[in-house]
Amino acid sequence: MYNPVAACIMTASSQSVRPFRSGWPVSPVEEESQRAPNALPGGLAALWLLLLVLWIVFNASAAPAILLVGVLAAGVIAWIFTTRSAVWSDVRLTPLRLYHFLCYAGVFLVEMVKANLGMLRYVYAPRIDIHPGIVRIDLRLSSPIGRLALANSIALTPGSLVMDIDDDALFIHWLDVRTTDAELATEMIAGAFDKHLGKVFG
Amino acid sequence: MTETIGSIIILAGAFFLFSAGVGLLRMPDTYTRIQAGTKASTLGNILVLAGLGFHHPDWALKLLVIAAFVLLTNPLSSHALSRAAHAIGVPLAPSTVVDALAERNRARAEEKRSS
Repeated sequence: MYNPVAACIMTASSQSVRPFRSGWPVSPVEEESQRAPNALPGGLAALWLLLLVLWIVFNASAAPAILLVGVLAAGVIAWIFTTRSAVWSDVRLTPLRLYHFLCYAGVFLVEMVKANLGMLRYVYAPRIDIHPGIVRIDLRLSSPIGRLALANSIALTPGSLVMDIDDDALFIHWLDVRTTDAELATEMIAGAFDKHLGKVFG
Repeated sequence: MTETIGSIIILAGAFFLFSAGVGLLRMPDTYTRIQAGTKASTLGNILVLAGLGFHHPDWALKLLVIAAFVLLTNPLSSHALSRAAHAIGVPLAPSTVVDALAERNRARAEEKRSS
């Protein structure tokens, strides 16, 4: 019997940790040699589905002709992007990943509203009393898309803005620095997202 | 009725966008201004789009996609702006406590000189 949770755990553990180089992701040639021949590029199905949904939304119709063009166009684009770049290979559709993605989306929405209200408090304070600074935090995610999602979420959450990225560190401009300790700052800024994003993108 | 609700939501969004503008004027330096512009304007944009959704329910899915693109691109531009500002040496506010990025750049320059 097919057990999606077990399958997810197995694929997660058998996934080799690819070294991440800053800059362009691993070249397709290197990736090709590690992949089983005849296997579909990783992330093809996910990207295909995403593009197809966008196509249907933009057309506001699912008539057979429009649907056919959408399936073909989305398939070709997804094929080109997943074979030319390793970025999408970390994206897989499994129920567990979907669940963690929804958790992440929920956490993100709450944090975003909090960030906006916090900003109002700073903006309308009679005297702006802040202690900004740039701190370094640890980056625990290895997949490029996971890193992108984390950086974007950090930029939209209370008083923090990603300024630069090293191999394993993010430099964050913090509106009100509460600690300069890397461990504590990582927990305070990225802690909420890290957990779920790690499960979604590995 | 739904139009009134939509209008109220758009008004709330406009208030957030206005606050972003006030933040741009009041914050002490470039980086904090970028922060004010990014944060208050995301919720402002999304509320305006949500309000539009009440006025035109058939646009709902397209508005959702626009909101997603706002969420994806807003942090990117703020990141690029602040990184460029720091790279050309735009000064930080006097109240700044720590600058880990400058420390890293100094350490890198040292390494280059010694090697």
